[in-house]
Parts: sequence; structure tokens; C-alpha cells
Amino acid sequence: MTTSPVIPRQSAPALSLGPAAKTVDAMKIYGKEQTEVRALDGVTVEFGAEVFTAIMGPSGSGKSTLLHCVAGLDDLTSGHAYIGDADLSRLNDHALTLLRRDRVGFVFQAYNLLPTLTAQENITLPQRLAGRKPDQEWLTRVIQTMGLQDRLRHRPTEMSGGQQQRVAVARALAMKPQIIFADEPTGNLDSRAGAEVLAFMRNAVDVMGQTIVMVTHDPLAASYADRIVFLADGRIVDEMVRPTAERVLERLKLFGD
Amino acid sequence: MLFTTIKGLLAHKLRLFGTALAVTLGVAFMAGTLVLTDTVTKTFDDLFGDIYKQTDVVVRGQGVFDAGRQGFGVQRGRVSESVLADVRKVPGVAEAQGTVFGSARLVGSNGEVLGNPATGAPTFGGDWTESKRLNPFRLVEGSPPAADDEVVIDAKSARDGKLAVGDTTTVLVQGPPLTVRVSGISRFGSVDSPAGATVTLFRDTVAQRLIAEPGKFDSISVAAEPGITQEQLAADVAKVLPREAQAVTGAAMTRESQDEARKSMAYFRTFMLVFAVVALLVGAFMIFNTFSITVAQRTRENGMLRALGASRRQILSSVLLEALAVGIVASLLGIVGGLGVAAGLKELLNAAGVEVPGGSVVFKPSTAVISLTVGIGVTLLAALSPARKAAKVPPIAAMQRGLVGSTGYGSRQRVYVGFGLLTLGLSTLVTGLFGSVDRPVLVVGAGVLLVFFAVSVLGRTISLPLSRLIGSPLPRLRGITGELARENAMRNPKRTAASASALMIGVGLVAFITVFMSSTIASQDRAIDQSFTGDIVVMSGGGIMGGVDPSLGKKIDALPEIAYATGVRQTFASVDGDVTFVTGVNTATAFDVVDIDPLEGVPADLSRSAIAVSKDVADKKGLAVGDALPVAFKDTGQQQLRVAMIYGQDQFVGSYLLGMPAYAANVLTPFDNEVIVKRNPEVSTQAALKAVEDASAEYAGVSVLDRDGFKEEQAALLNQMLALIYALLGLAVLIALMGIANTLALSILERTREIGLLRAVGMTRSQLRSAIRWESAIIALQGTALGVVIGLFFGWALVRALEDQGMTVFQVPYGSLLVIVVLAALAGMVAAVGPSRRAAKLDVLRAVVSE
Repeated sequence: MTTSPVIPRQSAPALSLGPAAKTVDAMKIYGKEQTEVRALDGVTVEFGAEVFTAIMGPSGSGKSTLLHCVAGLDDLTSGHAYIGDADLSRLNDHALTLLRRDRVGFVFQAYNLLPTLTAQENITLPQRLAGRKPDQEWLTRVIQTMGLQDRLRHRPTEMSGGQQQRVAVARALAMKPQIIFADEPTGNLDSRAGAEVLAFMRNAVDVMGQTIVMVTHDPLAASYADRIVFLADGRIVDEMVRPTAERVLERLKLFGD
Repeated sequence: MLFTTIKGLLAHKLRLFGTALAVTLGVAFMAGTLVLTDTVTKTFDDLFGDIYKQTDVVVRGQGVFDAGRQGFGVQRGRVSESVLADVRKVPGVAEAQGTVFGSARLVGSNGEVLGNPATGAPTFGGDWTESKRLNPFRLVEGSPPAADDEVVIDAKSARDGKLAVGDTTTVLVQGPPLTVRVSGISRFGSVDSPAGATVTLFRDTVAQRLIAEPGKFDSISVAAEPGITQEQLAADVAKVLPREAQAVTGAAMTRESQDEARKSMAYFRTFMLVFAVVALLVGAFMIFNTFSITVAQRTRENGMLRALGASRRQILSSVLLEALAVGIVASLLGIVGGLGVAAGLKELLNAAGVEVPGGSVVFKPSTAVISLTVGIGVTLLAALSPARKAAKVPPIAAMQRGLVGSTGYGSRQRVYVGFGLLTLGLSTLVTGLFGSVDRPVLVVGAGVLLVFFAVSVLGRTISLPLSRLIGSPLPRLRGITGELARENAMRNPKRTAASASALMIGVGLVAFITVFMSSTIASQDRAIDQSFTGDIVVMSGGGIMGGVDPSLGKKIDALPEIAYATGVRQTFASVDGDVTFVTGVNTATAFDVVDIDPLEGVPADLSRSAIAVSKDVADKKGLAVGDALPVAFKDTGQQQLRVAMIYGQDQFVGSYLLGMPAYAANVLTPFDNEVIVKRNPEVSTQAALKAVEDASAEYAGVSVLDRDGFKEEQAALLNQMLALIYALLGLAVLIALMGIANTLALSILERTREIGLLRAVGMTRSQLRSAIRWESAIIALQGTALGVVIGLFFGWALVRALEDQGMTVFQVPYGSLLVIVVLAALAGMVAAVGPSRRAAKLDVLRAVVSE
């Protein structure tokens, strides 16, 4: 844990900055008629800028679907999802791709990196896809914040799971995105590596003013967030600000399974 | 295990389809060749069955020599007319008729000659046999020739040449062009013309004079009285024959003719099957690659099966069973496709000028058996190594994540084996080309195969640096997509190498044949430049058995624009037991336009009993001026000639040369194959050309060429051949490209999540498609580069080996090779169209979260 930065949490997140992303009456329905499944059933939620938000809920609650839809990876059956003021439902595939590339960062549970590229190449991938020169100063800051100075020439197979996820977070940060979406980023890591990655993510919000939305089922992971949105059966059922692991665990017990 | 195999097959239709197609195409080509050759053979069988149906005995000259390998059968002298009278007197003979056979070229109503004796349908003439029983032709319109200038023609020529009964037209026979009247149109048995030939039939004395020898018959057809067997009659007839004639039964004639046709088909069949084998070889690479990939992808699945108690043998047989299923389906489809290929091949050959007679399609059971055996055999053999690899998967593999198979850069052992094979292949090749071995073609073929095999063994080791090199401009040209393409081509050298190797074979052969042909043409041009000083060449277009009447040469010689014209004649003869071309020239003029580089003796020595031989032949046979050399001619039989001259340049006149006195004495059908013209130095070439063209106008079918035209004409034949070989090798190249497409599709399947990730972080669809296209281009270029290098080497080796046979120039056709490389890269990109589209259509979300 020598690389883990110990930085005090800011007292109160600036909830007043306005949303970096939001959904309005989001519906996502799979199947038809009798076999119909409402993965999202009228979700209206805002994700504030410079806030670390966690989405939680039992299996099948729609938490991943919500993340995918607001991130522009999947489309809604009805309702709207916005990143900034862009209405995702009005964008075609190409425009969505460019929006993801230029304004959104992603961290997935596994398989975040291209095995053929080095850590550095992976980090700068979105810029290079856009054909832009990376902002070297920002990049150095990101790499330092993620503690990756010594790993830049390594390929994914030569790095630990935690290091790989840190590269993924660095890649998400590299484009100075409006918002970062993380889908169970620590799901494949042991608790120590997981804590390390989460601390770096926390750092990104506190030090670099980033916005993160993270889906997780782990109360400990969620406790790193500023705010938690609880989902059940495709609806928002609760919220929690400045959570602790104990309080999250207590809340989850109420779901009763 | 059968259950899981079938389930697996159904679940992976894409893989099945791609793999099967490679075998299907190879088998289809093979089956198509077999069907086509069987069909043509049947056509000839029927034809000859028809010809001799009513003929019980045939009297003909004894065989002088066998030109079967040249496609002209046994050459025989003619029988004297007086023999016919003797045969008619033999008891048991109901009827006997003399027949005449020779070259005659019929001109259609548009002034163009029908048929093409050099490369296409034969053109021959004969006599109209009065006896209905012995005449295989049946009049369908008009009447038999009643006057010396009347002819009966075949129905096909009447149709093609738009000739009707009563029309007058021209026939090119011995003597100046002859104006004739069509008195009748006939069919041949049940077909319009025998094997598509153009036939002109005269009254018998006219035919003797115009196409053969006066007072002689080529054969005598005899019909027996009722109750007399063919054998008995043949024996009786033989008793009255002179020594130079023989009597054979109609049945024997039928068999003999059928056998000869079959023999000439066998050459064609072998030629075509070589290309089928190449296609199957390439297909085998593709099967090997596909099975290697799928076995690697199923490592965990196989590990699980092993963990559940499946034995190695069961895993092995499950993979082989899958190969068997693929082999059976593919071979069956291939057989069906073969019927289409047979029709296509026929068109292809027709387009290339080789006329193939029609007939109902013959599909023999042996075709099915051979096709199935080869198709299934190739599939199983190619799948054997991947199957063994699958069986080696330990149960623990079920528990291991991630790593899909080995990427394989090639072990040190493998490199040693590869170099060993390469050395062996090269030395075999060199031995075959330069050494003295019994069957050099087989040795060279084995060497070629070994070299290809060695390079493909070394492929995975050289693939990585090669991909890096070929892809090196890409990152600069295409940015990140180019870099990803290069990285992806480099990430699994084993797979890239196998895809590239398949293409290497086809491209290697294409490059080889291109280099060889270009060197041949360059050598010819050089020979023309160095030793040909004529201004104009008149080509007869009449093929080796025909030509143009010497009257044309005389007519041109008399033109004021012309200094002199000299005719060059060629025939088959058997020299000291070897059947070969023998050339006849006018010694007074020929050597002024063709420098044959006389080393010993002078042209004036070429008397009626003399022959000149090339230095190569003289050295090989140990001949010196003054030695006797036995030569057998069709018309005059065995002759003793004396070597009077030895010459160095054999490019134009071949290995044996006769002066006109000796040639005319032994070849009784006087035809010039070419007339070489030297213009009057005061007249421009243009004017001389015009004058020769005008003089030749009535001799339809001849072409008048200046020096450049002559060169082009020589090259044109080779280029036609080249086009045909390109088309045939195209199949192997096509299969290899399909292999690349299939490998890409499977690799993309493997990279689904990676592609999802790229799309998620902002790669556009067109960027993704571009990356895959460039990856494919790198693979294709790798195969092409290897192929071109190998092809160049093969070409160089063969050209050097043939140096003393006139291959004096090794010419690398840089332009053509560049075109091949560019086409290969483009073809690689086209091959990637399907896989890249599919990849671009991948649902981003599904790709990211897919387990």
C-alpha cells in the first residue's frame, strides 16, 4: 500500500454544480407482452458534476442497465438520457461513438485493456482514436495520480489486476472527460487491490475534480462514494449521502435477499 | 462424444461453412476435370464407334513412327490405288472404297477461314465415299460432288460459315486458292461435324490431287459379305496386300482410335489435375488453420471434458469426427459443384482457343469415389495435428482463464527442421534442374513441394519480423488503426503464417510462371534481334499438318517491292527413333534472313540425301559431319541421310534441318508454314508490307507481320497460355483469400470483447473496419512477398536450367510483379470486407459484457 495516497476527503461535495449526466423517466423494456421485463421503470436521476456517485441494488435491479443507458452504450425504450445537455436518444451511432470518445470515460469489470498495447498506449488510446495529441501536462498528472510512472512500458499481461484497473482509470481520465462510468471496477480484484483502485478513483474526484458514476454490489466499495443511489426492480428506491460501509450494509439488508 | 461433436458443428455454422468451402472448391475442380475429360472421351468413343460401324476391315499403310505424344497418332504411308482393285477381288468382300485424308481449309461467306488448325478445331479434307455403307457422312441437303469443283461440307461449317447449297466459296488446299461450289451439306453420324472439325469432301480423284498424292489412298474401307467375320476377312485381305500395307478389323480400328483419343485426353487431364492438387493443398492449409484456431478456442471446453472423464482418444476422435463431417459435406458439395466446373472449364478452354467438343455429361462412379476419397482424406490429414493438440489438453485447462492456446513463434527445433527441409528441397530442385536424373519433372516437383513446405514450417518464425516490416508504414499512414492492424497481425504469428502460407503457394506459382514466361518472351525477342534479318513474315496459320501453298511464296517473290521470299516448311519425322520437328528451307535464300550460325559444312552441301543438325544434338548424339542418320518420314518411310552441316542457332529452325531437295523428296504434301520476306532495299517496309498483304489477300487465314508484329505474334501464344494458367491458379489464390477471411472471422470472434472495448472508448465503425482491412492486407502481403520471392527463385532456376535450350535471358517482369503485389493487398482488403462488417455491427454492450 505504499503507493496509496493518503489525502483527506473534502468535507462536502459541491452538489450544487448541476448534473454532469441525468435521466428523465428512463424506461428499458426487454421482451414483449407476457415475457416483458422492465429493467428500468421510469428512472429520473441526476449525477452531479465533481461527485463520486455509486449505484447499488440487488441482482436484476437494473443498476448496470442504468449505467449502460446513461453512458450511451445501450439505448432506452422510452424516456431520455443526457450527458451534459446532449440528449443521447437523438444521436446516431457515429455521434454516440464520438461522444463516448470525447466526453466519457469507461472502466469495466474486466478486460479493460488491449493486450497488444503497452500501458501508456492504452492510456492514450482514445486520443489517438480521435487523432489528437495528448495534453502532456495533464497526462503526466493522471499517470502520477494513478501511480503508474513505472509501468508505462508494460503490457497488460505483465501487470497485476489492480495495476491493470488503474491503467483503465487513467485511460478514462486521460481525455479530461465530462464523466466517467465504472461498472464493478473492483469486481475481479481482491480486497487490497480493490481498495487501492478505489482510493485512486477517490483521488481523481477530490484532486482533479472528476465526475464518476460507479455500479457496485460491494458496500465497502460504495463507501468511497459521495452519494449512493439505490435501485430495485428498475426504480430508484433510496439515496444516501456520505455513506459508510456499515450504513450501506444496513440499508442493503432491507432489500431482504 | 458423437453428440457433443454434432452439437458443436451445428453451433458453429460459420466455421463449418468457411472450412468446408476450401475443400469444396478443390474437390469441385478435381471432379469437374474428371467429368469433363470423361465426357470428352465418351464423345470420341461414340465418334469412332460411328465411323467404323459399317466397316469390317481397313487396309492402310504400316506404321512408320508414333507421334502420339505430339497428338498426331501413328504416322503411316499411303496405299497405292492398285491395291483397291486387288482387295475388291478377294472373296467375301462386298464393297471396298479408297479414302483420302488431308488438310483443307474452308473459307466462310465472310471471307474468314473456318476452324483453327493451330490451336482449335481441326480443318481437314477428304473424298466423298460413294458407298452408303462405308461412308460415315450422311447428306442432309443437296447432292454428292458431281464435278471437280464441287464439294460437300459438314453441317457445322455450313452454319458457322453461313454457306448454303449452291454457294461458291474458296478452299485452301495444295495449289493456289480454289473456288468451289457447295453441292451438298452432310452430318457425321448423329452430330453436325466430327469433334467440331471443319470437313470439305471432294470427288476422290480431286481429293487425291488436292490434299494427298495422286494415285494413292490413305486407307481402304472394306465391307464384308454376310456371314463373314471381320477377323476372317482381314486375314483374307492381308494375303493380297503389298508389304507396306496392313489389314485390320473395324473393331480393332475403333479400339485403336478410341485409345489414341484417350491418351491425348490423359495429358490434358494430368495438366488440369495439377491445378486441382494445388487448390487442395491450399485448402489443406486452411483446414489446418481453422481447426488449430477452433481447437485453441475450445481449450477450456476440452479441458472440462477431460476433467469429466473423457479420454485423450475420445477428444482426438471428436475433432477428427468433426473433420470427417466437414470432409463428407464438402466433398459431396464439391462433386455437385464439379458438374458446374466441368461446364465452366469447357467455356474457359473455348475462350482460350482450345475447342472442346460437346456431348451429354458423363459422370462415372469412379469420379465420385475419387472425389470423396481425396476430399475426406485431405480434410482428415490436415485436421490430424490440431486434433492431437486438442487431445493433449490437460484437465486443469478447464480451470485456467484467459490465455487462448499458444501463439507460437516456433521452437528452435522447428527452425532446424525448417532449414533442413529447405536445404533438402533446394538441393532436390537443383538436382532435378541441372543434374541428370531419370524423371526430372517429378524431382523438380518434389523439390518445389519441399521448398513450399519448408517455408511454411519456418513461416511462424519469420512471420513476426515480416509483419512488423510490412506493417511499418501503417502507423504513420493510418495512425492508431494502422498500429492496431499491425499489432493484431503480429500477435499470433502462427496463425498469420498459416494464412499467409496458403496464399504463398498460389502467388508463388503465379510469380514463377510470370517470370518464366517473361524470360521466354525476352529470349525469343533476343533471338529474333540477333539472328533474324527478314523484314516481313507471312504466317500460314495452318498448323503443323497444313500450311499455305508454296504458290504464295512464289507470288510474293515476284513482287517488285520484294527482294526475295523464302518458304519455311515443317513436318514431324522420326530421327534416329526420336519423333521431332524437321524443318525444310530453300538453302539459296533462307540463310540470308535467318542466321543459323553454321559451324561445320556449308548450306550448299544440303543435297537430296543430306541433313543438318544443331550443335546440341550433334554433341548429345556424338554426330559429326559425314555420319549417317536414319530418318523416317510419313510419306517415304525409313531413309538414310548423311549429316552435312552442324549449326549453332536452333531458335528458328529447330534441331534438324533439310534442304528443299531432301524435304520435297520425302514430304509429298508441299505446304509452307511461314514465308519470310526480304524487301527491296529501295522500298519502305510500309510499302513492302502493303504489297505482301495485297498479294496474300486471296489466301485466307494467313497473317502478314513486320518484325515487331512477328515478335508480338510469338509472345501472343505464350501470353494466351499464361492467361489460361493464371485463370487456373486463380482458384488456389481464391481459396487462400477465403482462408484469410475465415481466419479473420475466427480471430474477431475471439476478440469480441476487445472490439467492444475499442468501440466503447470511442473507435468509430469505419476505424474498426479499416483496422481489420489493414490487418488482412498485412497477412495477404506477407503471403505475397514470400510467394514472389519463391516464384522468382523458381523462375530463375528453371531459366538457368534451360539456358542451352534457348532460354538466354532471365527477365524479371517488375511491372507484373508489382501488379501482383498490389492486387494481393487489395484482395486481402476485399477478403476482410465480410469479417470487418460483422465486427463493426457487433453490439457494443454485448461485446463488452460477453463472458
